[in-house]
Amino acid sequence: MTATLETSVARSTVDTAVTLSGVSKVFGHGASAVAALDGVDLRVAPGEFVCLLGASGCGKSTLLNIVAGLDHATAGALELNTSRPAVMFQEPALMPWLTAARNVELALRFAGVGRASRRTQARELLELVRLGDVADKRPHELSGGMRQRVALARALASTLASGDEPGLLLMDEPFAALDAITRDVLQAELLRVWETTNTAIIFVTHDVREAVRLGQRVVLLSSRPGRVVREWSLDGTSSDDVVQDINTHLRKVISGHAS
Amino acid sequence: MATPHDTLEAVGAGLDALDAPVQARRAPAWQRFLKTGVPPIVAFVLLIGVWQGLWASALLPEFQLPSPLSVWDELVASVSSGEAFSILWTSLHRAVFGFIAAVLIATPLGLLVAKVRVVRAAIGSLLTGLQSLPSVAWVPAAILWFGVTPATIYFVVLMGSVPSIANGLVAGIDQIPPLLPRVGRALGAGRLASARHILLPAALPGYLAGLKQGWAFSWRSLMAAEIIATSPQLGVGLGQYLHNGSSLNDINMVIAAIFLILLVGIGIELLLFRPLERAVLKARGLTGAL
Repeated sequence: MTATLETSVARSTVDTAVTLSGVSKVFGHGASAVAALDGVDLRVAPGEFVCLLGASGCGKSTLLNIVAGLDHATAGALELNTSRPAVMFQEPALMPWLTAARNVELALRFAGVGRASRRTQARELLELVRLGDVADKRPHELSGGMRQRVALARALASTLASGDEPGLLLMDEPFAALDAITRDVLQAELLRVWETTNTAIIFVTHDVREAVRLGQRVVLLSSRPGRVVREWSLDGTSSDDVVQDINTHLRKVISGHAS
Repeated sequence: MATPHDTLEAVGAGLDALDAPVQARRAPAWQRFLKTGVPPIVAFVLLIGVWQGLWASALLPEFQLPSPLSVWDELVASVSSGEAFSILWTSLHRAVFGFIAAVLIATPLGLLVAKVRVVRAAIGSLLTGLQSLPSVAWVPAAILWFGVTPATIYFVVLMGSVPSIANGLVAGIDQIPPLLPRVGRALGAGRLASARHILLPAALPGYLAGLKQGWAFSWRSLMAAEIIATSPQLGVGLGQYLHNGSSLNDINMVIAAIFLILLVGIGIELLLFRPLERAVLKARGLTGAL
């Protein structure tokens, strides 16, 4: 009981995992400068699943890179109350010379985990994504869906092991390159893992159905420059109506670019 | 009770079973031998046959084209007197020491050229240019600088192999998919950790190709140096043996020397580099050429 109390207290003191205030990003200088993001405000609660939705050129990937610390904002502020964010890309980007287990262990090593516990933690994470029995296979011996699950285990290893604060997963269209059935299975898998690990997730996609299925909240971004257009909370609403509504807005955003 | 969740789990397990690439089974040993062992043996036998035929036709005088058997006798004689081993040892240990020194010099050099833009701009093309300069061209200069000493021989070996090894490493690093170091940074790897755990292993196939070429270059540079720079204090290596054969107008000795030089080259390739390359490529699923 005490433990439950303590965690809930800890929760209430930190009520946001990620805060972006007025974040802008401009690439290049002078006349050739391109504004990728313009004054984006976004708050993500600890353990929240937020989907960022937008057409090409909405700066989704730029936004993730800024949160991940791989890129810096031109203006605005970023505040993180999480351990080191982990990024998952469209490609699994596993190290081809390492086995699945070694790939996860590499992330743990970079996160500063000692040699002794790396092995057991890597096994546990691979079990979590149901890949315990292919831990010793190399990436080329796995299917695309399995590789992406190893990448998920690696990302979890990175964010869960690198601090006591809750984790944060940044996902840049991670399922876009997979076939429809595999994508469907992996979406369910991701939801299960998210519920088990209590990690906050920012999930970038251009697929409205995917966003509505996965997210607790869907944020629609405009294109060139990226701005927050609208947000939908998905608690208890009929998903078909929301999909319709989001699609309408998305079309409006895209057709605004026809000249 | 089959909830939708359970069925999806089953679908996932089924997909894993269906989608995972099927690993081809290894052919039995005799089949592999038939495919890879027999053709070179047949080629060798044919070559000897053609040689024997040419000799029998007596188109060339005996002192220019000896019979295979007389070359064989020369080889057997030098092996049974122990001379062959001392010659091989003299050359091999020079080549191995020279090669190890070349690896130690070329690896940091290659890293610098690959990762530091100024260094690449400054000496990148020089390094490529040196690769096309026959290392035998360094022998006269080296003799003037160091005299006919081991230093001359090692200098020529280094000039021959360092550019190949460094260039191989540069090519290996240039071919790393940019996503891998990015993943490393996202996982929190510093520059050193990234070099040790991501850049070097990712560049390994190119580096290995460079090492292989570097070995070949150091072996032929050594032969060039030994043929030209002969003196009693240097001892008799394969190059001197070849040089002596030529001085004595002994074609049997010359061909036996060439045969031994080839034997070392092929032996190192088959015993060292081929298995290493196979292991590295197989681990990455790059089995197309194997």
